[in-house]
Parts: sequence; C-alpha cells; structure tokens
Amino acid sequence: MSTLSRDQIRAMMAEVLAAQGKQMPGDDQANLEEIGFRSLDFSELALRVEDEIDEELNFDAPQLRQIATVSDVLDFLEQLQAA
Amino acid sequence: MTPATAGGGDRPGVGQGASRVMTRGFDGTWEQLADLPLPAAAAVSVLDNLQAIRAVWSAARDDGELLVASRTRLTAELRDELRAAGLAVVDLTPDGDSNDDPGGGVGERVIVAEATAARSPSPGRVWLLTSGSTGRPKRVAHTLDSLTTVTGAQPPRTWLCPYAHGAYAWWQVVTLSLRHPGQDVLFVEPDELESWPARALEVGVTAVSGTPTFWRQALYRDPDAVAALPLEQVTLGGEPVDQAILSRLSELFPSARVSWIYASSEAGASIAVHDGQAGFPREWLGRAAPGRATLSVVDGELLIESPRRGQGVAEVLSTGDRAEVVDGRVLITGRTASDEINVGGAKASAAAVRDVLQAHPAVVWAAVRGRRAPIVGRIVTADVVLSGEATAAQLTAWCADRLPDYAVPRRLRFLDQIPIKESLKSDV
Repeated sequence: MSTLSRDQIRAMMAEVLAAQGKQMPGDDQANLEEIGFRSLDFSELALRVEDEIDEELNFDAPQLRQIATVSDVLDFLEQLQAA
Repeated sequence: MTPATAGGGDRPGVGQGASRVMTRGFDGTWEQLADLPLPAAAAVSVLDNLQAIRAVWSAARDDGELLVASRTRLTAELRDELRAAGLAVVDLTPDGDSNDDPGGGVGERVIVAEATAARSPSPGRVWLLTSGSTGRPKRVAHTLDSLTTVTGAQPPRTWLCPYAHGAYAWWQVVTLSLRHPGQDVLFVEPDELESWPARALEVGVTAVSGTPTFWRQALYRDPDAVAALPLEQVTLGGEPVDQAILSRLSELFPSARVSWIYASSEAGASIAVHDGQAGFPREWLGRAAPGRATLSVVDGELLIESPRRGQGVAEVLSTGDRAEVVDGRVLITGRTASDEINVGGAKASAAAVRDVLQAHPAVVWAAVRGRRAPIVGRIVTADVVLSGEATAAQLTAWCADRLPDYAVPRRLRFLDQIPIKESLKSDV
C-alpha cells in the first residue's frame, strides 16, 4: 500500500480548509478551533487520504486521542496509514 | 402457496390480443405470436421480450399459471425454489435460424425442468418476483385481472416498454396492450436503451413509461432525439420522482400528460398523479374510495391499503418507502432503511441531498450515500453526472446554501454516465 507523506497530507488539509474559505496556518502547532478546522473537515481529510492511497483505512486502529492542533491531525493520519 | 384457482375468466376475450406488438424479431398482433407449449404451471426464463410475450399470450390463451423472468434473474437457488413451489422452470434456447417464422418458434428448443413438488396448477395465476432489494426475491400472486389497472376506453396509443421482462411495470404495459385494442407496444431490450428514441420515432411511439433514471439517461444521451418524439403521455415510476425531472419532461413535451405512478408487485398500482408535480396532495391521505388505495404516513413511512395488492399481501402494507409532507404535498423520497445518514448524531436525508443536487442546472443525475469516516461515524458523499459545467466547489456551495452543514456532501465524484440496472433503476 502506498502512503502519503506528512507534507502531502498537509497539502490536502490546506485544500479542505480552502474549500471552506479558510487558510492553512504556517505553524503546525496552530489550534484547530482557532483556524476553524472542525470534525467534518477532519473526516473529509481522512477520506481524501483513503481515496488518494486507494485503500480503506482502519479508523479504529490508532488511539483517537485528543486532537487539538494541526500537528495532531498530521500525526493521526500518518499513524492511520501505518496501522 | 396453496393451490387454488386464480379466478379463471382471464382468457383473452373478443377483440383482445388485437393490439400490435413490436419487438426484436417480431412485428404483428398478439394473436399472431407463435404458439409456445408450456406446462400448466410454468416459470419461464426468457432471454428477450419476444419469448416473454409469447409466454404471456400462450398462458393467457390456455389459462395457464405463469411466472416470467429474465434469465439473469433466475439463479440456480431461485430455480430450485420455484420448482419446489410447484412450477416447472422453462428455458427457451435458440437452435438454428428462427427467422422463417415472424412469430418466433422455429428451431428453438424448449427445456423443461419439472416441478419437484406436485400440486394442482392454479389456472390464471400470474406470479411476480419482488425486486429483492431488501433480501431474496419473493413471489407475489396476481392474475391478469389484478394486473390490469387501466379500465375504460383509452385513446389509441403506441407505447414504449423498456422495463425488465416480468417486472410489475412491464406487466402493466403488457396487460394494457393485451386487454385494450389500440394500445400498441414497442418493447426494447436492455441493449437497445441507447438507441430507442430513433426506433420509437420510426414506429410512431406516442407514450413512454420509464423510471426517472431511464428518463435522465435518455435526456443525457440524446435530448434532441427524445424531444423529437410526438409524445402524448409521459409516465414515470419505480423510483422516487423528483420535481426536476417532472419539470424537464413537462417543458420538453408541453402537450403531453406527464404522470407519475406509485406501484409495486406487492401494493399494485396505488397512486397515479397527473398534475406534473412531485408527490401527491396531502388531502389524499386517509381518503377512502371504492377501487382506490387508502394512503397514510406513519412515522415517516408510506402505508398503503390497496385493492390491487397481490394475493396474500397484508391489507395495510408497510411499503418501506419514506414519505414526508412538504407544502401540502406528500413526497415519497426514498427507502426508510437507507435514507438516513447519521453524521455525528445529526440525521441527513440522502433523498433531500440528492434532490438538491439534481435541482442544480448542470446536474443531470445524482446519488447520495453515507461513507464511513472517523469521529463523526459517516459523512455524506455523492456521485454526480453533469450535463453542463460545474466544479465540485460550485456544487458544494450550491448545497451549502440549501442544506445544513452536516448534510453537504464532503466528497463528490463525477461520473461519465448514469449508472442504470436492468430494472432501469440506479439502486445506488
């Protein structure tokens, strides 16, 4: 299975935000609430990753811990691909 | 099923069978169809409409018991089930050139697998198979009489019948033609769905019945060819009928009557609406009248008490179809079991999203479903077919203006053509 790099996932996240008329912050520690990245956006991003790698991801595999920053999102999706 | 006489009296009477039927390999009246020797109780597995209408005519004339189904529907398991229910399963296999006989019949082999359970045939019984979309297909008992829902004098028409052999809608057109002289029919096969408008124009089709998906596909492929038809009657059924397709057809055929019909093997033909509007008037709910179905909506589901229901079907049938009252109309929008998409606890209606997408000027067809997603459980996604220019961002904005946030499709996939099954439905 092919995997996406952290930078590729970050670019996709920027696309999801752009579709909502929002901007991707330069700092990965930016708070999701402050940039307006919501649960639905997160779900959409995960499905974009699925579609890109053409594999179903096991969303139950990694511990869905507190996701508060851009970095948390990228970490989670990296883990998901590795699971 | 209990063997019983289905009522007799269904044999074609004077003048019946005089309508013209046209299908690949045949152009003549019912009476000119070649004889098809059938067992007294037969499930006929057909490859085309010619075989299907020969089976109908032979069984009608001989007062036989009949089930007609496309060969693709009759799985080995279903065949065994039919034989155990007392029906011989009949396959017609071409064996050489049959062009010598315009009614078909020369050079074919009739292969009969006898019933495995003996019982007396039930003369005049017609069996239909349900779609099986919610499980295995069920047999529903009718007669030619119960399938004949059009009564009284009819203006002469030439119908196009694109429906799958043996489906309830197919039988509707068949019984109309069989029982009413002057109701001619052009049958088309699944592989003729791309070219039917030209053939329909050639033979003078004036009435067409099809599912919304059938109409959308036809208008997507060749709108000019469809618009050239001198249609007096346009009928839709078999799927939820939305305002966008009704309006489009009314615009294309301003002098035609545009109708939608709610019918199924179990409920029979229960609702007919001719005002060009989606849904039916709210006042029809609870209205009881002789010969008409009594309709109600309970917990968002359409219930029907129909005099045309199949034998053995519950008097008040829970249809499994979702219904809602909007602006004085009762809209039938989809299946209760599959319509609701739970997005993080919020309930999105797939039908409502589909209707919003299909109301976009550039969208000719849309299908909406939930897709598994982290955190929220499911999110709304859609497949669309465009007839004009539109980007995913534009469609998303269109939906965002008309739907709650959680119902806006988050993944949009653009398809090159409208998916259609043999049932003429999308079923997606």
